[in-house]
Amino acid sequence: MMQARLSTLLFRAIAGGAVLTLMTGCVTSRLENARESTTGIADGESVVIMAKSYHLGNHTERSYLSCVEEALARGRTGLNVIPHQQFVDSLFPWFEPRTAPAETKGLVKLMQRPGVAERLAEKGVRYIIWLDGDTERVASGGSLSCAAGPGGGGCFGFAWWQNDADYNASIWDLKGLESAGTISADVSGTSFLPALVVPIPLIARTQTAACKGLADQLRQFIVADADA
Amino acid sequence: MGSGKTAEMALVLGRSGKWRALWLAPVAAIVLSGCGSAVTMDPPTIPEPLLEPMEVTVAVRFPENFRAFTHEEETVGSEDWSIDLGRSNEVLFTQLFGYMFENVIVLGPDDDPYAHSLDAYIEPSIDAFEFSVPSQTKTDFFAVWIRYRIKVFNAEGEQIANWPLAAYGKSQASALGGSAALQRAAVLAMRDAAALMIDKLDRETGVGSTRAASRQAAASSADADGDPLPASANEFVPTLARELTDDAG
Repeated sequence: MMQARLSTLLFRAIAGGAVLTLMTGCVTSRLENARESTTGIADGESVVIMAKSYHLGNHTERSYLSCVEEALARGRTGLNVIPHQQFVDSLFPWFEPRTAPAETKGLVKLMQRPGVAERLAEKGVRYIIWLDGDTERVASGGSLSCAAGPGGGGCFGFAWWQNDADYNASIWDLKGLESAGTISADVSGTSFLPALVVPIPLIARTQTAACKGLADQLRQFIVADADA
Repeated sequence: MGSGKTAEMALVLGRSGKWRALWLAPVAAIVLSGCGSAVTMDPPTIPEPLLEPMEVTVAVRFPENFRAFTHEEETVGSEDWSIDLGRSNEVLFTQLFGYMFENVIVLGPDDDPYAHSLDAYIEPSIDAFEFSVPSQTKTDFFAVWIRYRIKVFNAEGEQIANWPLAAYGKSQASALGGSAALQRAAVLAMRDAAALMIDKLDRETGVGSTRAASRQAAASSADADGDPLPASANEFVPTLARELTDDAG
């Protein structure tokens, strides 16, 4: 009796997963990296993910930044990631949008400020990863109309939209106060919403794909030389 | 009038309609929230900054609008937004100056700053406050600009600096609604002002040199009068004191 109930639950979970997988839109990804120096990370060293300043016109979403932080820290091979707000607060005011160095050239001056080098060493920060870019809706179309009355409601039609997620990550190595390289993620996804009484959303998780892709690349980029 | 309408609706909706009305209430609230909002700020705090405090004693007097400040704006589409900063600026500046200077005296509205022994007197003020909401900029972002003005006077009451500084904060609209995003943008603008002051206040106003300047002035005046040099001047301007002592010898 118990076994039958368990197998039914298992079947439903697998079926649900399969339906969810089938019910996603199309996503295409392109990830590229450019290495400028050798990398590696030791035990006790950590990384920080930051969004480039909005003073420079950058609009990277907080949700994306948090997603990359979580993805980079997750799993057996996860890196030690310091939450960005905690890092910014502990180095106040030198990583605020106005005062944070825009280029690696600014790191030398930053390290000379009272307490900065000591605080970075205390936290074991080896890499600062600067994200810029965002996810935008670049096209949409179709027509969908819904109506509701006392007896119920329903929708009819077909709508679609395309989101582009373009992000760049610049990796700064605080050991040599230099740029270690850059990684870019260009992900495009088209979502569909057909409706015949009940709308069936086929959502392309563009930003999530860009987050996972970039985090995987970052992990490989940073630990690659250490493994070799 | 309003209650009559509600009664009429209840009659038309009947028994099941009451349940629908209950279900519609949150939907109506969400729809109506698009018509603007009133935001009340809790005083923000800043983390302890990494800096060496300036070795000066300053007195500061906050204007009335640092204790109570409300900005209202009717934006495109007739959205009414208002933001009440309350005591946010007073709290932020008191905390900030406490970190930046060796000693800070906060003056009341009628206190005479020169009744105290000080190196500089600071008068901050708000010149302008503006914000933008997503319906204006066609983006997902709320932005806040605050233009402050910092006037600095030396120990003799002469104005030595009049520095305008523009602070900017930007926050993405979230599922929590526009009020939370506008509040965050305002907090970020104040934090931006704090960062800017830590970075540039001394360079722009010379407030950090006011003690040395007043000692130097006192020493020069003592020299001109033929009075003996005050003992404290030897501590702060040793080179100058040595020269003066040599000259006297």
